Amino acid sequence: MAVTKLSNSGIKTGVLKYDSMLAGNAPFDPAATWLIQRVNGTGSSGVITFSNIPQTYQHLQIRFIAKNSTTTSVADHLYLQANGLTTSTYYSHFMYGSGTAAFAGNFMTQPQVTIRDAIYRSNATYPNMFGVGIIDIHDYTNTSKLKTVRAFTGRDGNGDGVVTLSSGVYPATSAITSLTLSSATGNFTTTTSFALYGFKG
Amino acid sequence: MANTYVLIASNTLSSSAASVTFSSIPSTYTDLVLRYSIRTDFAGLNIAQARVTFNGTTSGYSRTILNGDGAAASSGRATSQANFEPEEGSPSASNTANTFGTTEIYIPNYLVSANKAYGSFAVGENNTTTPVYLSARAALWQNTSAITSITLTANTGNFVSGCAFFLYGIKKN
Repeated sequence: MAVTKLSNSGIKTGVLKYDSMLAGNAPFDPAATWLIQRVNGTGSSGVITFSNIPQTYQHLQIRFIAKNSTTTSVADHLYLQANGLTTSTYYSHFMYGSGTAAFAGNFMTQPQVTIRDAIYRSNATYPNMFGVGIIDIHDYTNTSKLKTVRAFTGRDGNGDGVVTLSSGVYPATSAITSLTLSSATGNFTTTTSFALYGFKG
Repeated sequence: MANTYVLIASNTLSSSAASVTFSSIPSTYTDLVLRYSIRTDFAGLNIAQARVTFNGTTSGYSRTILNGDGAAASSGRATSQANFEPEEGSPSASNTANTFGTTEIYIPNYLVSANKAYGSFAVGENNTTTPVYLSARAALWQNTSAITSITLTANTGNFVSGCAFFLYGIKKN
């Protein structure tokens, strides 16, 4: 039986018939990425928390642009904790380029995953300059895996900056239901933004 | 507005496997993104790699390499290879239980009738003081064919149960 589509133009020009239920429309492609929540800095806190994270995705991704209120020196680390775990059981590694050389290192038995040097401070030498990055956590609901964190971050100050690949581990097989991001010093500026996305699998 | 980032296919292993293949990749996207987490069952520490090939072809692969092992960074090249290796080494049998490496490979313009340039990031963790690898690659497949299939093969041993592979398509509009 043919499918009949009713529309103003169709009624005016004649009834259109299709052999498919799509009736001339493109197939629906369900989106694979969804914005879960966006949190902006307030100027009065160096902590941003994503809580009650839905358990309906496969992976999580945080995209951020960050600056803090500290006015001396250059930049700060970004800290990440999961499920409120604050014991010194996180391990992190990094490699980065400084513009003149490449380096690697680690942060062992820390109370957080450490993403090195990802936040510009509000030093007058670097006005309106920010750290940016993408943080990925695959399989965050999987209760058979420790959660590996992967971060690609960078900052450039027109003569200063780093590009960094970091890794870390949330040392538990628990599904991740909350994430806390904090600045090593100062408060996140109001121009700071963290967005949490879910990836379907 | 059309959805521009779409899951094409996924494969989460319920038992160990030597390889995983995404075949019959639609030609309706502009770019491809492959995201996966791996661990192999071969005895050793941080030696797991996924050897990636396109369209079953085992020639024409080259890459520029940046690695970090938690203490030092190094760079290098590999030319005229039979496959692409995004990881310097992800968790394997001797690593801490339940640790997996994660990798993302971005393949822009996978349909273009030109050589394919692509890139990847990969990290592994061990939840101990043992060094692990962070790996970044800029890569080239010297082949003008559209990519219709992607195969990932464990370099040694098998991918263990729980390894998960996801192929996404990105549309330009």
